[in-house]
Amino acid sequence: MATTLQLSDQSLRQLETLAIHTAHLIQPHGLVVVLQEPDLIISQISANCTGILGRSPEELLGKGLGEVFDSFQIEPIQSRLTAGQISSLNPSKLWARVMGDDFVIFDGVFHRNSDGLLVCELEPAYTSDNLPFLGFYHMANTALNRLRQQANLRDFYDVIVQEVRRMTGFDRVMLYRFDENNHGDVIAEDKRDDMEPYLGLHYPESDIPQPARRLFIHNPIRVIPDVYGVAVPLTPAVNPRTNRAVDLTESILRSAYHCHLTYLKNMGVGASLTISLIKDGHLWGLIACHHQTPKVIPFELRKACEFFGRVVFSNISAQEDTETFDYRVQLAEHEAVLLDKMTTAGDFVEGLTNNPDRLLGLTGSQGAAICFGEKLILVGETPDEKAVRYLLQWLENREVQDVFFTSSLSQIYPDAVNFKSVASGLLAIPIARHNFLLWFRPEVLQTVNWGGDPHHAYEATQEDGKIELHPRQSFDLWKEIVRLQSLPWQAVEIQSALALKKAIVNLILRQAEELAQLARNLERSNADLKKFAYIASHDLQEPLNQVSNYVQLLEMRYSEALDEDAKDFIDFAVTGVSLMQTLIDDILTYAKVDTQYAQLTFTDVQEVVDKALANLTQRIEESGAEIEVGSMPAVMADQIQLMQVFQNLIANGIKFAGEKSPKIKIWGDRREDAWVFAVQDNGIGIDSQFFERIFVIFQRLHTRDEYKGTGMGLAICKKIIEGHQGKIWVESNPGEGSTFYFSIPIGN
Amino acid sequence: MSDESNPPKVILLVEDSKADSRLVQEVLKTSTIDHELIILRDGLVAMAFLQQEGEYENSPRPNLILLDLNLPKKDGREVLAEIKQDPALKRIPVVVLTTSHNEDDVIASYELHVNCYLTKSRNLKDLFKMVQGIESFWLETVTLPAS
Repeated sequence: MATTLQLSDQSLRQLETLAIHTAHLIQPHGLVVVLQEPDLIISQISANCTGILGRSPEELLGKGLGEVFDSFQIEPIQSRLTAGQISSLNPSKLWARVMGDDFVIFDGVFHRNSDGLLVCELEPAYTSDNLPFLGFYHMANTALNRLRQQANLRDFYDVIVQEVRRMTGFDRVMLYRFDENNHGDVIAEDKRDDMEPYLGLHYPESDIPQPARRLFIHNPIRVIPDVYGVAVPLTPAVNPRTNRAVDLTESILRSAYHCHLTYLKNMGVGASLTISLIKDGHLWGLIACHHQTPKVIPFELRKACEFFGRVVFSNISAQEDTETFDYRVQLAEHEAVLLDKMTTAGDFVEGLTNNPDRLLGLTGSQGAAICFGEKLILVGETPDEKAVRYLLQWLENREVQDVFFTSSLSQIYPDAVNFKSVASGLLAIPIARHNFLLWFRPEVLQTVNWGGDPHHAYEATQEDGKIELHPRQSFDLWKEIVRLQSLPWQAVEIQSALALKKAIVNLILRQAEELAQLARNLERSNADLKKFAYIASHDLQEPLNQVSNYVQLLEMRYSEALDEDAKDFIDFAVTGVSLMQTLIDDILTYAKVDTQYAQLTFTDVQEVVDKALANLTQRIEESGAEIEVGSMPAVMADQIQLMQVFQNLIANGIKFAGEKSPKIKIWGDRREDAWVFAVQDNGIGIDSQFFERIFVIFQRLHTRDEYKGTGMGLAICKKIIEGHQGKIWVESNPGEGSTFYFSIPIGN
Repeated sequence: MSDESNPPKVILLVEDSKADSRLVQEVLKTSTIDHELIILRDGLVAMAFLQQEGEYENSPRPNLILLDLNLPKKDGREVLAEIKQDPALKRIPVVVLTTSHNEDDVIASYELHVNCYLTKSRNLKDLFKMVQGIESFWLETVTLPAS
């Protein structure tokens, strides 16, 4: 199979390289005469003159054109030629006397070729019964009126082929369109019912080689009345003035190239008419007419068709522009909806993923991927997540600025072969670093509407071991050519993607700004709160001191005058005030613990523990506590805050010793990414249901009569440790003591 | 300890809180040192007194100044700065007596050449000890240049 394709591929390449316009053969139904000016001497003539005019080339060469036509027919031709009005000659009705009183009427067409040679082409004029005077005008007019009523391009295409078929009577009329890569599609067809449809078939670019394309542009209407007609050479083959073959590029009668004829024969075509459709200097497409048997198409009718082709095409162009515009409007609608959804969702990723149809519609894709930070969301038909992540890595390395797109990803990213059926085409838009929007398109083969069973192609094509061109085989070839390719990304689709990117970037910027504003507000209110806490506690202390001092002064000065009750009352008042003072101090401490102001320095924990123990000297001595300290590391921490934590935990250990004499162990353990410190006591322990509660501000498990304290100590510890990105927790059983743990991350 | 050649020591207390100044007054009542306590309520009046302006034209020069930091009209810190910049006043010992534990206040005060910074004790007994200590140290123990 591969060999077959290779062979035919080669023969097609040959076609491309041949200079078709230098072929000097002409179709047998007309005459070509090369004239030498100004006397219109016949310097070359096609060899079929013998059959048509009854005179051999030898008789005519070197003679004036007057030898064939009467001088009164020649004079106006000569005068127009000298006046430089060559186009006004076309067509000229010319008649020639053939043997005795017989006449042949010709449609004569003159042109100068690239060498400046005057070429006269003579086609026998056929009187057509069904073509009245101005008939072509009416036919074209009727057709155009029908066309105007068509709302969309598809119907428009259908009307074109129907009308051309009606006008010309061909067995099959096809509208053939070239894509960006010059591959062709049959986009409309009207035919005899008994014939096999070609509608929807695809032809590779090589079916119509570049030189042939150029000819189509030069010569907007080409006719081959008889595919089986034997081509006739010019005599002599070489022009005596230029010493080379005559350039017949502009010639109507130029013989079709052998390969083209074979192509037509293989398709069972006996006659063909081709009308070129040209847009902005490019071959947009063709109206191709096929007849199973030879068919003569009168000059007027051809002219009508050519005219029709031009008018039709200006309509197609306009309609196409409208459809492009409509598509643009449709894309803009997707864009507007997405923008709205993104804004209302607040999160653009959510806005996009919740509207998959819009997201895919925006670029006419079957799949999409949104990569935002670590998040990767796949929508529609896409490669799997792992494949997309690799693809993203590859994209990042390419450092794409605005947009990256390809309709043949595997050519630059070979891994794409593995997911060609979903992503042969890629359109990528970087939003920010590590953030991408991707759209995918499948291989064309996955999307093409097959015009028939492609596997049928081989039966008909191999004759005598020679590869012949056949639509089916062409289709197969086309398959080879478009393998691993997606439909191309249109400019409007890329524009839509870019517009979406802009909208997303704006959205992100706006959200970042709002977030920054929020942070500023929070910072301000936080600062206010801190100031409030400080001032409140400071200012609260003053009146409390006052109460405390004066109550004590009363007691001091008047103690002899007071009874026991009065002394008790004073005691209660002093105790109450003292508790309140402690509470305020603790709140102040809590408010002051602030990660922002924590001074993280390289801290020897041994020293910190020693300091905490020193601060607790009195209590340790009073309680007779035994303290055992293991070896301690150095960590990054705020020394004062860390000391506070140890002091609180050790003090708690002493405080909650119960009946026993307190034994406290302190140690540090290296974990994977943190140091974990422990303060263990042998005290009363804590029920596990309180493990969380004890770290909450003002939470106490005991009455003040049992144990003094404000319930702030552990909350302060928790706040400090969390400020160091660590954790604090407790393990305990009632009656068996407690172990408080806290961690300080290594990388802090 | 007092005699004719040794007039009573003048102690200037600048304190806006009546409760606090009364407390100091009460503590000083127990003092054995012959003294005169002058209490002023804000920083402006204190400066006027020290610089013998207006109605304080004939005011005596204090032997010791007890200064609160948070004062109305003119802050204690400003008063301290002005005293220490005034050649006529800078030799007078100034003791800052405050409830503030704030480290910044302590540093700022010493940078303004305060002679001593004391945080008022919350315990009355301790406060007694403190004030008596100040008195005996600054009025009796230390040798000051003759004014």
